[in-house]
Amino acid sequence: MLRLTRRRMVQLTGLGAAAIGLMLSIPAIGFLLSPLFQKTRETWVRVGALPDLTVDQPKPITLKVPSGEAYDTTPVDRIAYLVRKSDGATLVLTNTCSHMQCDVHFDPTLQQFLCPCHGGLYDVHGNNIGGPPPSPLPQWVHRLEPDPQTGQTILFVKNAYDESI
Amino acid sequence: MLRFATRPLSRRFRSGYRWVDERAGTTDLVHKGLYEAVPDRGAWAYTLGSATLVLIVLQFFTGIFLLLTYVPSFASAWDSLRFLQTSDRFGNWVRGMHLWSAYVLILVIGLHMLRTFLSASYKRPRELNWVSGGILFFLVLGLAITGAMLPMDNAGYWTTVVVTNIPHYLPFIGDAIRTLWRGGDFVGPITLTRTFAIHIWVLPFLLLALIGAHLYLLRRHGEFGAWVNYSTTTDDPDREIAERIRRAEPPYPTLRIERQYAAPRKTVGFFPNQLFKDTVVSIVLVAIIFVFGFIAGAPLDARADPATLTYVPSPEWFYLPLDQLLVLTPQTYLIAFGVFLLVGLGSLALILLPFYDRSPARRPLSRPEVLVPGLFLAFMVVILAVLGVNRLYGL
Amino acid sequence: MLAASLTAVPGNLFGNGLAVALVVLLHVQIATFITGASTLAVVSESIAMARNDPRHARLSHDLVKASAYVFTFGSAVAIFFMIWVLTALWGLFFVDLQRITFYMFVFEAAAFVVEIALLYSVYANWGRLEAYRRARLGLLVLLAVVLWFQMFFINVVASYMLTPNGGDVNQLSQVLNPTFLPLQLHRTVGNIAWAGAVLAFYAGLRYLLATRRARREAAVGTVPARSVGAMSASRFAPGSPPPAARDSRLPYWDWLGQWGVLWAVGLSLFQIWIGYSYAKEVQLHAFPAWFRMMRGALSNVFLVQIFLLGMIFILGTLYFWRRMTASGARGTRTQIVCLVIIVLATLLAIQPAWFALSLPDVQAAHLDRPWWDGGLLNPIGDFIPNKVFALVVIMLCGLVAITSYLRAYSRGEVRMGETTRRLQGVLLALGVTVSLMMATMGVIRENSRQPFLIHGELRLQHQQIVTTPPQAPP
Repeated sequence: MLRLTRRRMVQLTGLGAAAIGLMLSIPAIGFLLSPLFQKTRETWVRVGALPDLTVDQPKPITLKVPSGEAYDTTPVDRIAYLVRKSDGATLVLTNTCSHMQCDVHFDPTLQQFLCPCHGGLYDVHGNNIGGPPPSPLPQWVHRLEPDPQTGQTILFVKNAYDESI
Repeated sequence: MLRFATRPLSRRFRSGYRWVDERAGTTDLVHKGLYEAVPDRGAWAYTLGSATLVLIVLQFFTGIFLLLTYVPSFASAWDSLRFLQTSDRFGNWVRGMHLWSAYVLILVIGLHMLRTFLSASYKRPRELNWVSGGILFFLVLGLAITGAMLPMDNAGYWTTVVVTNIPHYLPFIGDAIRTLWRGGDFVGPITLTRTFAIHIWVLPFLLLALIGAHLYLLRRHGEFGAWVNYSTTTDDPDREIAERIRRAEPPYPTLRIERQYAAPRKTVGFFPNQLFKDTVVSIVLVAIIFVFGFIAGAPLDARADPATLTYVPSPEWFYLPLDQLLVLTPQTYLIAFGVFLLVGLGSLALILLPFYDRSPARRPLSRPEVLVPGLFLAFMVVILAVLGVNRLYGL
Repeated sequence: MLAASLTAVPGNLFGNGLAVALVVLLHVQIATFITGASTLAVVSESIAMARNDPRHARLSHDLVKASAYVFTFGSAVAIFFMIWVLTALWGLFFVDLQRITFYMFVFEAAAFVVEIALLYSVYANWGRLEAYRRARLGLLVLLAVVLWFQMFFINVVASYMLTPNGGDVNQLSQVLNPTFLPLQLHRTVGNIAWAGAVLAFYAGLRYLLATRRARREAAVGTVPARSVGAMSASRFAPGSPPPAARDSRLPYWDWLGQWGVLWAVGLSLFQIWIGYSYAKEVQLHAFPAWFRMMRGALSNVFLVQIFLLGMIFILGTLYFWRRMTASGARGTRTQIVCLVIIVLATLLAIQPAWFALSLPDVQAAHLDRPWWDGGLLNPIGDFIPNKVFALVVIMLCGLVAITSYLRAYSRGEVRMGETTRRLQGVLLALGVTVSLMMATMGVIRENSRQPFLIHGELRLQHQQIVTTPPQAPP
């Protein structure tokens, strides 16, 4: 017959409980942390020909971009503000405020982007000029290529922001 | 004084009851549950605790009914609620009661905490009552905010975006928390499932466990009341207090406390006096929720649209002070300072109140060291809420 | 001929602006005091009735008397303001403003009738109503309500001029314009704080006057008197005169001084955040005015305001610290720590963000680089995050200082009458600081609208346009 002291008994039970805890927590914690190690499926979307733009006049266009995360494959409607700078460069700004990621609106009278959530302000080039935003409006990762047939400038957008916010 | 007439039970019922009682010990249980002394003055203020309990039960009840229709999926959540709103005759009513009882619950918990704060009921040996109650308050706020995310209408979607983004400003681990909650960098299908799990399982489980602890502790130490219940009237306070302690009914005298506060001057039975008042308050509150749930229901915005160019997100009213604080603490370091340091330390200070306010004083004006910061906080919350209302709903 | 004399306005823009500024500043300080004092009178009278406190009973009577006297003078200023300054010097603008905010002015003016009736009834019958204290308190409450009601309407006009928001066509959006609620909160809290500061100033002055003779006598006496505590010890010294007349008054003035400081400093804690929100609404709804205020020509005036704000808390904490020391109360170390931190935070907050008149000047000179790179910018003085951080720190330390003082007070460690003459100087300085603060805020707010009188709608030059008189048909 097995003879146990009370102390030994408590020690063994404690060890057993710890073993159960470990066996349960390894898969659970691993499962919980898995999003940290998943990679976004990169997708390039051909948006189309770049529309005519007036200098410093943001023009919103709707993109269909899949988020590429988890099992999400359906493209979602997203906004890009196209801005032509005076030096000819084109900005493809997101409408995601760098403060709390709300949707910024363009105010044509003030010529500013305004975030309705907490009153962040950006100028037409997306620089944060007032309120809580800590950094400028992020841009979509994009490239502009001339169409070999028509010679138009075609805008391609990737499902990523070119600045981690 | 209320009088309650008693009438003998019918013989058949009595024999049936006896059968159950022999096996389940019901009478014992009911006696333990109902016969207890509570301080006689301020009974209407003590009803806030039981009202909180009733409202939480109502939340569980209506919540389970909502689960019969609601689908926690990014694609179908809005459709299922739309169906509930339009095609189900009582669906909107149930959802309205879930929403309105949450609103009333937050108000009632706030008043309950204020009452406990002003009367210093949290002092020795009732420290853990306050701590468990404080954690319960934050759990309810967590339930309220996760609940607001679930409908996946515009309001819910943008609430999700903002709330899941706040941890991002936490130094070092902020980004990881955001990614874990969202299941990625963006709000997507996984975000909703996780929020749903938090709202339906994680927080309610913790809530139930803490409610059990809170009630057990209440029964162990008894209702404190306020300093008026312990004042002495005769020239010989020592003798008066000794007499009071000798004649006190359980759970008094409270052990390990200054003699003066060990037993109230006069007590009444929990049953029927206190229970009657509790019932009246609960009936009124439930009736308000019943009516408002029907008339106002619960709003459902348009389907979540990440590509909106016009939608103005606004938080639920009880988060307006925090939302306004976000406006007033701009840019990375101030957000970390304002949101995490001030609000975090403030919340911690609130929960740990009994451990630093240990003076024997019970009257509010005799303890300005907690009353002044407390009133400051209360005024600040109101002022920030008014400013938030002005900012979001101004014409 | 007739048309020309109707539209031509005497004086010039600068002179008329100065006239309106001076009278408005005087008017604001008077009106604010009456509103705050009547509210404090209600508080005092309630405490006097609940706790049978003779000091509060005396204070509420004093406040009513003061309100009555100031009201008399204030109405004279108001009439002068309306008739001479607004109607004569700013006639065109004032007619336009009255046309737009007609109902606000009607209700505002109507409130005066009720106020006069109430205030003078309470003032003249104070003794007779002694037997009916609840009724008297009721009248005081009514008076306070009417005064707040009046402030509500004038706040609509004041906030409308900065953020009109289409209020000239819609009465509701005129009332609920974006800065209305912030201004309402700012003034609600500020009126009482100002009344507290005036009380502190007055108490300090009376204390100094009451002790002046005693000091002279003590100077020729045997015991050198540094404080009243020392003086009350000198009472028993042979040869000093019986100080009975002095003793009954000094504890009251001492008590009143700290009571006023508590209101002034305590309520100013909230003002930081309300003011910040107010500026935020101006930024969102009247961006050019905000720009002028924070980055344009007024940005340096704004630094003065932040300095005065810091001074309110520095003087308040200094007073609490020395007042506690004078009575030998515990907890003075907390006060010293708070004072040091507030001084440091104020030093951080008053740093200019650029060494020029305005940010556009710096940009125009292409010197928008930090000063260590040869530019004119000073990133240490950036409003965000440095000044905001400093303001939060000031607020928290102010809260700790007040809590610590009240803790000592509630334990009876601060005994009334044991103060120093030098400390009364702090009270005087606090009163002057708050007064200057109000004036600076007024100057900033009214000038930020330039070149508009009503933001985005009515220009300053509107006043100077002389329409050509109608020509007789040929």
